[in-house]
Amino acid sequence: MFLKSQLSWNVIIPAENLDVEGLMLQKAIVIRLLDDFASKKASKSLGYFMAVTTLERIGEGKVREHTGDVLFPVEFSCITFKIFRGEILDGVVEKILKHGVFLRCGPTDKVYLSHQKMADYKYVPGENPIFMNEKMSRIEKDTVVRFIVVGARYVEAEKEFQAVVSLEGDYLGPISQNAV
Amino acid sequence: MSGEEEENAAELKIGDEFLKAKCLMNCEVALILEHKYEQIQQMSDDPTNQISQVFEKSLQYVKRFSRYKNPDAVRQAREILSRYPLAEFELCVLGNLCPETVEEGIAMVPSIKNRGRALDEEAIEKMLTDLSLIKKFE
Repeated sequence: MFLKSQLSWNVIIPAENLDVEGLMLQKAIVIRLLDDFASKKASKSLGYFMAVTTLERIGEGKVREHTGDVLFPVEFSCITFKIFRGEILDGVVEKILKHGVFLRCGPTDKVYLSHQKMADYKYVPGENPIFMNEKMSRIEKDTVVRFIVVGARYVEAEKEFQAVVSLEGDYLGPISQNAV
Repeated sequence: MSGEEEENAAELKIGDEFLKAKCLMNCEVALILEHKYEQIQQMSDDPTNQISQVFEKSLQYVKRFSRYKNPDAVRQAREILSRYPLAEFELCVLGNLCPETVEEGIAMVPSIKNRGRALDEEAIEKMLTDLSLIKKFE
């Protein structure tokens, strides 16, 4: 789910960039915030950081000892993406493996659907392997699949979320491209 | 640990902070990210720095999974769904997945059938029909 959040961060402007004033300083702070935001990538509680939407307030700068850099407290709104257990989502098949498939969903491509969670689908090996059930419904690369999230966890080292999903439930499974 | 174990969006157990947070439908995110993309291209000397992979992948995703493309339709979809007693989370799941029948709607958002909710099947049907009309006239 995409969420709108309000955050307060500190932005550091290096001393050598401080010869600018007024609007230029504000621009320097905004650019620095956008850079920081883009590189932060994700956090456990809020999920992936998508985009800053509005800058609410820039507080009074504080000079840091020794370096002379100035630290500005900044309040802003942003969009994040978090996967919840029990949530139903659409994803796109990225890779087919013998024991299941990986899907892309939002910013993540670590969404795993095990063959045990789609019991009626059987693995069909070949140059382009697929999963298929008795009704000839196919799951192949780029198929859109509707699934339910069974579990999600945050991996701090990679700053990413991994999710385990299932097709066990009504109205879940591959959906025709025309419908989307 | 226990808090995490209990999380279950199907029963609308997603933690208080998220229940109160504003959720966004894919189509709303698509509008915002597209606008943002243009803005960054214009204002930044080095746009690649501020357009992260997360941003790019998400933009691709929401463009593909937006039910409503034009801004008026997007606004109407939220307006229609807001008439019903739905949590933000439920509203957005419905707007994203656009179930066609009451049964499918309940399968997608089981919490709308919980006891004590002021939503009967008739209301759910009306809501889904109104939603599908926007799509038709878009």
